[in-house]
Amino acid sequence: MTDAAAVEQARGGDPDAFRMLVERHSRVIFRVAWRMTGNEHDADDVVQETFLRAYRQLENFEERANFSTWLHRIAINCSLDLLRARGRHDKHYGGEADATAFETDAPQPDRLALSAELQQHVTAALERLSGNERTAFVMRHFEGMPVEEIGKHLGIQVNAAKHTIFRAVKKLREALQPFVRSTPCST
Amino acid sequence: MQHLNEEQLVEHYYHDDAQPSVAEEHLRTCSECRAQYETIRRVLALVTDAPIPERNGTYGEEIWNRLRWKIGRDATRGRRVAWKSMVAAAAVLAIAFFAGQLWHARQTAIAPTTSIVQTVTPSPTTASRDRVLFVVVSDHLEDSERMLQQLANADPSKGLDDSVQQERATELLASNRMYRQTAAKRGDARIASVLADIEPILVELSNAGTTLDADHLAEIQKRIEAKGLLFKVRVLSAQTGSGDRPPTETRGTDL
Repeated sequence: MTDAAAVEQARGGDPDAFRMLVERHSRVIFRVAWRMTGNEHDADDVVQETFLRAYRQLENFEERANFSTWLHRIAINCSLDLLRARGRHDKHYGGEADATAFETDAPQPDRLALSAELQQHVTAALERLSGNERTAFVMRHFEGMPVEEIGKHLGIQVNAAKHTIFRAVKKLREALQPFVRSTPCST
Repeated sequence: MQHLNEEQLVEHYYHDDAQPSVAEEHLRTCSECRAQYETIRRVLALVTDAPIPERNGTYGEEIWNRLRWKIGRDATRGRRVAWKSMVAAAAVLAIAFFAGQLWHARQTAIAPTTSIVQTVTPSPTTASRDRVLFVVVSDHLEDSERMLQQLANADPSKGLDDSVQQERATELLASNRMYRQTAAKRGDARIASVLADIEPILVELSNAGTTLDADHLAEIQKRIEAKGLLFKVRVLSAQTGSGDRPPTETRGTDL
């Protein structure tokens, strides 16, 4: 059954149809939620809240729209609400990145499977972003949301949203540059 | 040659730059900027490839099991709303019936020649209509007051993101229209006026989608305050809830 057909049946009061949508999309929504919150338990809560809101708003879902995209937007909103409620939205997750600590023995893993250690560095670099930086970055980088929409979600102007994304990328670059191989260029 | 700064490179990476062809051209000819751009690209590729905690194949089922009872509660709430709507509709029918009875009684009692203005006490029929209207409007006003209170207390700098609020506004809007029209038809200007003041707010909330941005919220808060809406609703709610009756009416009566 397609998502559109399941939505139609769920609107008609068929719980099994909605159950199918939950089972089909939960894992993907968890990925969005985890990227946004950086915490497994919070991500689980966000997934649950996302489907609850989706159920309550089924009547507002336009049939022409993509259900998955619609669900992603709800998950982003739920994540932002959770971060705001916990007062984490504008706080930094941690201290400044100490990239120099990892400069020795740096692997060259571009586009290859990441080593466990490198994975930790990437995770740590993401955690060092402020709440706004992380959410703006995730929305732009992973969700492909336009900057205007990101600004609306965060309640900031377009230029501020652009700059927030830039700050996030800059911090990530500073933290992770030692792990990427620079290709010599010639003009 | 003017180099591209890091912000411009990031914008170019995400295709957010106004003139991508200019950046493209520069990157083609400038090895320094190209190297910096390549570093950004590789760092972001690392981030893209970073693993995410896995959830197993039964995850969807687990989420559904946690959701099921909440969704069931929603369905019950939906039935309760439907039940309230039926009561409201029945109340309107009852009012219409009593009004018809009253009109018929008055028509049969008309003296054909003289018309004077006479002070009358509300008849038992009128009192019954008032009671029915007051009971249903009182519930409606309490619900509306709660919603206005939430809006008035919301932080205007953050906007409001609440799909439940929007659904509630849609439900209240439907009831509000019905009660306002009924009150206006039976000449209860006091109720009709307050309900008419509430209605534009409910329309806006109902149409606002799931998110009310900061500017919109601030504007609605100003309107609530400017009209003294919360105060009016509280006063009317107290009057209707306590069974406060309209004063003795002055009607033109044919004798």
